[in-house]
Amino acid sequence: METRNLMTALVLMAACALAVWLRTGFGRPPKSPRGRAAEVGWCVGLLAIVLTIIGQEQPGFYQQYPAVFAVPVAVAALLVLQPRLAFGLVPAGLIFLSLAGLVAARDYGFWSYIPGHFLFLPLGQYSLQYYLVLPLAYGLLGLGGWLGWRVLDRQAPVIRLLLGPLSDPARPERLWGLLLLPVVIMASELLIPTDFLGAGTLGVVVSLVVFSGSFWFIRRHPELAGGLATGGLVVFGAAGLWIASAWSSWGGPLRTAANQYVLYGAVAISSRPLASVAIAQSLLFIGLGLWLAPRTIPQTRRLLGWASDPDLLSRVQRLTESRAVAVDTAAADLRRLERDLHDGAQARLVALGMNLRAIERLIPSSPDAALALVVEARQTSARALTELRELVRGVHPPVLADRGLADAIRALALDTPMKVETDIDLPGRLAAPVETACYFAVAEVLTNAVKHSGARDARIAVSHSDGLLRIMVTDFGMGGADPARGSGLAGVERRLASFDGIVAVSSPVGGPTMVVLEVPCASSLPKISSC
Amino acid sequence: MRVVVAEDLFLLRDGLVRLLEAHGFEITAAVDSAPGLLRALLDGRPDVAIVDVRLPPTFTDDGLRAALEARAQVPGLPVLVLSQYVEQLYARELLADDGGGVGYLLKDRVFNDDQFIDAVRTVAAGGTVMDSEVVAKLLGRRAREEPLARLSAREREVLELMAEGRSNSAIAQRLFVSEKAVSKHSTSIFAKLDLALSDDDNRRVLAVLAYLNA
Repeated sequence: METRNLMTALVLMAACALAVWLRTGFGRPPKSPRGRAAEVGWCVGLLAIVLTIIGQEQPGFYQQYPAVFAVPVAVAALLVLQPRLAFGLVPAGLIFLSLAGLVAARDYGFWSYIPGHFLFLPLGQYSLQYYLVLPLAYGLLGLGGWLGWRVLDRQAPVIRLLLGPLSDPARPERLWGLLLLPVVIMASELLIPTDFLGAGTLGVVVSLVVFSGSFWFIRRHPELAGGLATGGLVVFGAAGLWIASAWSSWGGPLRTAANQYVLYGAVAISSRPLASVAIAQSLLFIGLGLWLAPRTIPQTRRLLGWASDPDLLSRVQRLTESRAVAVDTAAADLRRLERDLHDGAQARLVALGMNLRAIERLIPSSPDAALALVVEARQTSARALTELRELVRGVHPPVLADRGLADAIRALALDTPMKVETDIDLPGRLAAPVETACYFAVAEVLTNAVKHSGARDARIAVSHSDGLLRIMVTDFGMGGADPARGSGLAGVERRLASFDGIVAVSSPVGGPTMVVLEVPCASSLPKISSC
Repeated sequence: MRVVVAEDLFLLRDGLVRLLEAHGFEITAAVDSAPGLLRALLDGRPDVAIVDVRLPPTFTDDGLRAALEARAQVPGLPVLVLSQYVEQLYARELLADDGGGVGYLLKDRVFNDDQFIDAVRTVAAGGTVMDSEVVAKLLGRRAREEPLARLSAREREVLELMAEGRSNSAIAQRLFVSEKAVSKHSTSIFAKLDLALSDDDNRRVLAVLAYLNA
């Protein structure tokens, strides 16, 4: 027996070496010593896990020599041919072993007459090592989960297929839903009677149904699963407090394992001291649940003041964008103004000054030439004035300043080279920035109509009701205006976006073209758009 | 001739007063705000008032409103409104009462003192003077429409000058043609636009402006 075990160990070591050599020889050579060590670790880990699982499930297996050779060779071949799959098997194997541990914990006990084992722990009568089974099993579960998390490429097609909506890289918070699996495992361990979860065909079927059902649920409703896992942890912790504190020398309130143990998390409660350990564990679960709550249940986040109301978020987003546009537009307007002044009125005034200086010199000698220059100077000043007038009109039209939006739109209608009817019903002046934005928006729409519609008539209707300013510009032209083409309407949209205003266009071929501008005036943000 | 000047900028007010005095006008009041203007108009009843549109206290269209108010109380009170900008909307409001004695000019027109003084005298005499920019805009809006489109280029020029409030002789001088030719053109224009021809200059301006404003 001893020799046989030694032989087995030697064969395994040789197989490990072979696998590692093959892997580093044929596969892509790792770049760094650390990478090479990691490769070796993975190979050895996989071999050890496969052999352990076989040893666990088929105790007599290694009595047969061919099997002893066959398994390592098969694993080595897998490592070389399908390294990614092989590495993926490591976490899977760890999780499988942990489940086997849970089953073992149910089947055995301190007083169990039947001998057995889990990994390297002999179980049976008076084996105190029984109490290590559950911690080990959950340790393996944690290790398997962590390794799987690290190793698996969550964007690989197979994994994406398996995880479904969970693998959405834009929604990492969905992965919290996977926590429901360990919670279900712990709850099943506590609540489902031995016959239905553990040894025997029935046990396997029930656990398969429970776990695959849970996984299906998590995949289908990741957010809900995250919330359930969180709530489950808290409830499970509270239940542990009750079970452990109700424990007396007569035993506890629940009997689940065949051997009168209550399996609660990593603790098999069978005495007062163990009940105390279970209480510590309960508190840990409750704490974990509370920590998770704001991460998995959005409502609690708002309750805690972490504030991320989605409406608020999208509003902040929109405001950020429109503010950036507003700032850019303002800066561009100022630059244009500066350039126009510099090239226009300023230049004319310089010319005027030079003219006057020339006149000063010419008057004594040749008054006629001086007179001609005076005429020129007068014309220059008139041109400077004209340019300044146009400039001011583009910045802030005088009628808008004098009379407000209603009359400014009426004046605009009069200045438009087609017949424009106006029907304006405004209670009074609006906030100056809103007036300006709306005025230029209407001006732009009218300019478009004149340029493109071929219309002879247009109509502007302005009304204000329920805190909404509504401007409707209709031209009776050929229609077919496409808001996506040309920058005019996009400019209007940007201009109004700063005030949460919107633009809608209806322009069937053959006309009429109708442009509706809506700006909320009694909006929730009085600083921006109080009308 | 007694004149009231309303202008809030000292330099311009002073310049206007000097210009008018140099041409023999008597300045009865030179005010710098709308309430002052209204008082000067209603109490002083000048022969003509020269009014800046934008005046204190609100620096919007106070001057225009004071002038309209005064004309509402004293129909036909001659007012020549000056502004840095001309707006058809304001022109319409000034012309609305059909009373004549109204002028609306850009401030730049003061540069040409002869024409400006002419305009002041026309308004004082109950005539109507419109800035060429207003007229150009009026025509621009309806240029594509019948029957304006049927006018010849020269007829259109004559129409513009008529709308500005110029007499036949002034138009003839401006276009370097004889007064007879102008008269022929205006007859033709009135026939094409289907308007009743009138010898009275002011009635002629008002008819043309009313036609363009419709």
